[in-house]
Parts: sequence; structure tokens; C-alpha cells
Amino acid sequence: MIQIRDLLIRRGKIDALRVDSLDIRRGETLAVVGPNGAGKSTLLLALAHLIKPARGMITFHNTSLGEWDDVKYRRMIAFVFQDPLLMDLSVRENIGLGLKFRGLEGQEIMTRVNKWAKTMGLASLLNRRAGQLSGGEAQRVSLARAFVLGPELLLMDEPFSAVDPPTRAQLLKDLSRLLSRDHRTTVFVTHNLLEAAQMGDRVAVVIGGELKQVGTPRQIKSRPSDASVRAFLRELPY
Amino acid sequence: MSFDREVIQITLLSLQVSGIATTASLLLGLPFGTWLALGDFRGRSFILSIINTGMALPPVVVGLVVAMSLWRSGPLGDLRLIYTPWAIVLAQTIIAAPVVTGLTAAALESLDPRLQQQLLGLGASRIQMILHLWREARLPLLAALMAGFGSVISEVGASMMVGGNIRGQTRVLTTAIVLETSKGEFERALALSALLLILTYLINLALTWIQQRGVKR
Amino acid sequence: MKKFALLFLLLLASCSEAVPENAVILVSTTSTQDSGLLDVLLPAFTLQTGYQVNLIATGSGQALKIAEQGNADIVLLHSPQAELKFMQEGFGLERRPVMHNDFVIVGPSMDPASIRAQPTALAAFEEIFASASTFVSRGDESGTHVKELSLWDQADLDPAGKDWYLETGQGQGATLSIASEKQGYALTDRGTFLAYRSNVDLVILFEGDPILLNVYHVITVNPEKWPHVNLMGAQAFADFVTSSEGQQIIREYGVEEYGQPLFIPDVGSESP
Repeated sequence: MIQIRDLLIRRGKIDALRVDSLDIRRGETLAVVGPNGAGKSTLLLALAHLIKPARGMITFHNTSLGEWDDVKYRRMIAFVFQDPLLMDLSVRENIGLGLKFRGLEGQEIMTRVNKWAKTMGLASLLNRRAGQLSGGEAQRVSLARAFVLGPELLLMDEPFSAVDPPTRAQLLKDLSRLLSRDHRTTVFVTHNLLEAAQMGDRVAVVIGGELKQVGTPRQIKSRPSDASVRAFLRELPY
Repeated sequence: MSFDREVIQITLLSLQVSGIATTASLLLGLPFGTWLALGDFRGRSFILSIINTGMALPPVVVGLVVAMSLWRSGPLGDLRLIYTPWAIVLAQTIIAAPVVTGLTAAALESLDPRLQQQLLGLGASRIQMILHLWREARLPLLAALMAGFGSVISEVGASMMVGGNIRGQTRVLTTAIVLETSKGEFERALALSALLLILTYLINLALTWIQQRGVKR
Repeated sequence: MKKFALLFLLLLASCSEAVPENAVILVSTTSTQDSGLLDVLLPAFTLQTGYQVNLIATGSGQALKIAEQGNADIVLLHSPQAELKFMQEGFGLERRPVMHNDFVIVGPSMDPASIRAQPTALAAFEEIFASASTFVSRGDESGTHVKELSLWDQADLDPAGKDWYLETGQGQGATLSIASEKQGYALTDRGTFLAYRSNVDLVILFEGDPILLNVYHVITVNPEKWPHVNLMGAQAFADFVTSSEGQQIIREYGVEEYGQPLFIPDVGSESP
């Protein structure tokens, strides 16, 4: 569904990310893992066409991103950021925000929002203002806001890193269930190798702004492609 | 004309002139300030520093320059605007516009910079994104509006110079106060001053109410 | 920290010396100031007597109010009726004539109301009224304004509220600017007009009628009401402007620059 070839992203004068070749298959969850600052978030921003590459090409459904109308393309995907960044609105209005942008009718929005609020366990909080939520609740809203859009591609940038461990474990479980249920194409970024292995059908390792290796968790563990990957694996407790 | 009827006429003119000027400065300053805050281009800091200087521009200097431009001997003399209410509107707009622009830019820059990306990521078009950013920054934006209005309703130097303080035509509250004072009519001057203060207070009260509405603490 | 506090206190103490003993507060009108006479007269006074003059120039109404409240030592004004009331109410000690000039009617050179040809000032005003020509008034209860109103009154006309009658509520200079921009008529004292002539697009269209005389008096403020006024300084000023030297300065002012004197000295004349 998505193909990345010969990609180079620059931030100012620095090469932030280089990807020679990467395919993302429909329905799979690709976990992108690597140390902090490695360029993983940059990959997501490029996939959302929020930053433009200096060189190379990303194609979606065989059409280069450069040829898609930006707004039209972004309305086919959903992006979950590290911080929920909710608007100063009610939970209900926050979840429905993306639908509002897409011009859906009020009734339709209400139906969908209610459904997903229930799925994410937020039904009782719908009228709460965003500022009154706990960290975990806010992140759930952020997820609901993305899922309610029924996106073809889901991009998630370390969505649970700011949340405490027990909530995090629960959220991961819920997310995993949702993704496998719907076979939603997902690119999931994390710096935690365990999480990556848990969530991803395949794992892409990005170190120092370069895509080093792509494969199943087992493949990477058993045959790391180079010294840097090996060093990264050594961080693992197991 | 009795003093009371005249006071009503002067008050209405003040509100009209400053109201139109504030609205014009909003129509100019809001988009311009937004563009400055969200844009990323060379010379952005330079333009921002000019705007910030413009906020401190002495109104009387604006009055002088506008007057000289509108005189019959000046470049815009053919417009025949000098000593008409529109001349005051022009001068006041020039005074308020930098204030609204600068404070709008500051208001938007105070938002989380990732908010733009978040909104775009949710599929917002550029206009939808800007409207929502305005909504998020509505508190400081309304403050910008109040500041713009405040800078012109209380202004006297430019209004005097370009308007001429002509009775029934360009006399506003501030210039009337100066006149009554020069006549030694201190009580009248104080009465007009009280009126001006109350008017300004009521308008700011209304704007503050709008600003604070829906802000749950 | 203590040193700083001491220095600060000394600074404050030196500021409390508000008006030094050798200063005289003179209050006069903006038109007198605009004519430029005071720029010559006051330094000459200081040179001879050593008194510094703090000049406050405002409209006639406020000038008298300022003196009534004891915030001035001496008044130089050209509003006889208001001055007499001031004296009657006991605010002034002594009132002496100083000089006079005259008012003139100025306007656009094409003279739409044809006032050039009129025999008297009142007739000129009648023509302006009848032709509804633009007339710009001071509208600030100054001496000039009072004079103008009395002329309308004597001609049995009331221009108030007419859309050709503009009241600026400002000083003579500003009013002349507005008259120039609007190409309208105005009543002004000759002195200010001569000083502003090069800045405005107006000419003198009517002059010479005795009714247009403008008389200046100097009044010392009564120390009975306000003991702290500088009576000695005030009297020195009154003496100076009525002395032969002061009168000489008045007689000569403007001749070189405008070809005619702006004021005519009056010492020896009776108070009108």
C-alpha cells in the first residue's frame, strides 16, 4: 500500500532521516523502533506529508504523495501524537473534531462519536472539558479521535510514553485488540523494543537517522544486520 | 443645541469613529498577525520588530503625518478628507492596527507549536486550522481587540489634528474635553471625562464577559 | 543601600523648590503667543529685571480661571468684558492698558460673498450670512470668539447650527489652518494672521472698521485672595510692558518681518 524509496529528509542543514527502501503492507502493523532522536517521528511526519522530503518518493496506492492533494490525503489517514493535545473543548467535541473537518453532518458525527467513546470506555466523560482529564483519559480521547475517522492508515507516535506503566499496559492491550480486529494498516513508533515486538507484525529499526533493518521480531533478534542494531538489542532485558 | 443633546451627538460620533477604526484594524491586524505568527519566511523577525515599534508609535505623530498627507497641499489632498470624521477613522486605524497585529501574533505564538500539525493531521484544511487556532487563542485575541479599542477611544492628539474638533462634525469626547478645559469649564470637562470612562468601562466589561465565557476554572 | 536612600532624599528635597523666588507666572492667550510678540518681550523683561517668566498660554476663559485659583501672578488678556468681571469679583489688584491691535476678516482670495466691497464689518458679516459662505469660528470663548459673537449679535444674526458655520474649539493658528483648508472666512486678530500668513491660503478681505479694535490689558493678581503670588514680580512685569522701553518693543514688533506693526502701544490711553 505504501512504498518508500530513496528517501532523504532534512531538518535545516542536518540529514534527519534516510530510508533506502521500505514497503508497508495493507492491514499490517509496522512497529518502528530505535533510540530517542533517531528519526522515527520524522518518518511519521513524512508519511503524513506534514514535512516534505529533500529527495526520494513516498507512494500511497501507487501515487506519489507529492501528487496527492494534501488535505484530501490527510483525510484518509489519522495521526496520534505523543501528547494528546486536546482542544479546549468537551471530550465529545474533541473526538468529533476530525469528522467536523471532513464536513460530516451533526447527527452522523454524534453516532460515530458515541460508538467510539463506548469502545474506549469514555462514555461517562463525554461532557467533561478536556482540561479536566487525567493523562490516561486524555490519551484515550486522542485514540478515539483517531479511530472514529476510520482511517486507511493509522500513524502513532509513541502514544503511551507519557502515561504511567499500569495505564500504559492496559492501553497497549486495548489498542492491540482493536488493531487486529479491524486489520488496520498502522505504523506505530516506540523507543521500547518490547512494545515494538508486542505490537508489530513487523519491526523497522531506525538508528542515527537511518533505516537499518526491517523484519519480524524474531528475524531481527536472531540476525541483527549490523553492529548498531546488535548494540540496540543488547538494551533488552531478555 | 442644548448641552445634553450635544453630548449625545459627541458620544455617538466617538463610538462610531472608534468603532469603525477598531473594526478596520481587526480586519487588517488579525490576518496579518496570524500570517506573521504561523509563517516561516526570511525577514519575519524584522517585520515583527517593526510591528512592535508600531505599537508604541506616538498617536500625535500619526496625526501629524496623516494631516500633512490629507492637506490640500499634500499628496492625498484631492480626497478632501481633512477635517472630516473619515480622517479621524484613518488616523485611528493606523494607530490601532499595529497593536492588534502585534498582540495577535503574540497570542498565536503562545499556543503549543505542535497544535498546527495536530490540526492538519486531523485533516483540517488551512482555513479550518486557522479558525481553530483562533478559537484556542480567543482569550489573548479578545485582549488584543480590547487593547486596540482602548488605544483609539482615549486618543486626542491625532483626532484633534486631522479632525479639527469642528462642532457637530468632528468633535469627539476627547477633543471636547480639551476644549471645555481651555474654556475654563472644568465641571463640564469632568462630566465628559466621566462619561468617557464609563463608556470605555462598559465596552470592556462586555468584551471581558465574552472572553471569559466558557472558561471553567 | 543607605547611601542610595540619602541621595534619593536629597534629590527629592531639591525638587520641592517648585518655583524659584525670581520667577513670575504669566498667563496669556494662545493668540498672543502665536503672534510671537512674547518671544521678544519676555526675554527683554528678564534681561532688565532678572525675573524669569513662566508663560502659560491657553484660551481666555481658562486663563482667567487659572488666575482666579491663584496659579498665576499676572494676566495679559484681550477680553475686556471678562476682565472687568474678574476685577469686580476682586481677583485682580490693578488693571492697566498695554496695547491694542485690530481684528480683520480673512478669507479665500476669490471672496464668494464679496465682503471686500462692504462699508462696515457688520455689513460684511451680513453678506457672509446671506450667501451661506463657509465661516470658521474659534468656538472656544476666547477673546476673538467673544468679539465675533458680539458682531453677529449686533448684526442681529444667529449663525449657530448652520451647516456653513464651523466651530473648531481651537486656537487661532489651528482655526486659520482649518479656514484655509475649507477656503472659508474667519475673524482673526491681525497679529496672528500676519504670523501665519505664509502657511495659509487666505487674504485679508476686510479691515479698518473701528468696531474691530482689540484691546490688551495687563492685570496683577490680588494677593489678598492668594498671599503666595509673586506680587513684586507681577508689578515689575506690569511696569515693564507699560514703560517706554516695553512700549518701544511693542511699537517695533513685526515691522521688519511683515512690513507693518502687529500691535499699537496704548500707554496714556483710557481703559475702554
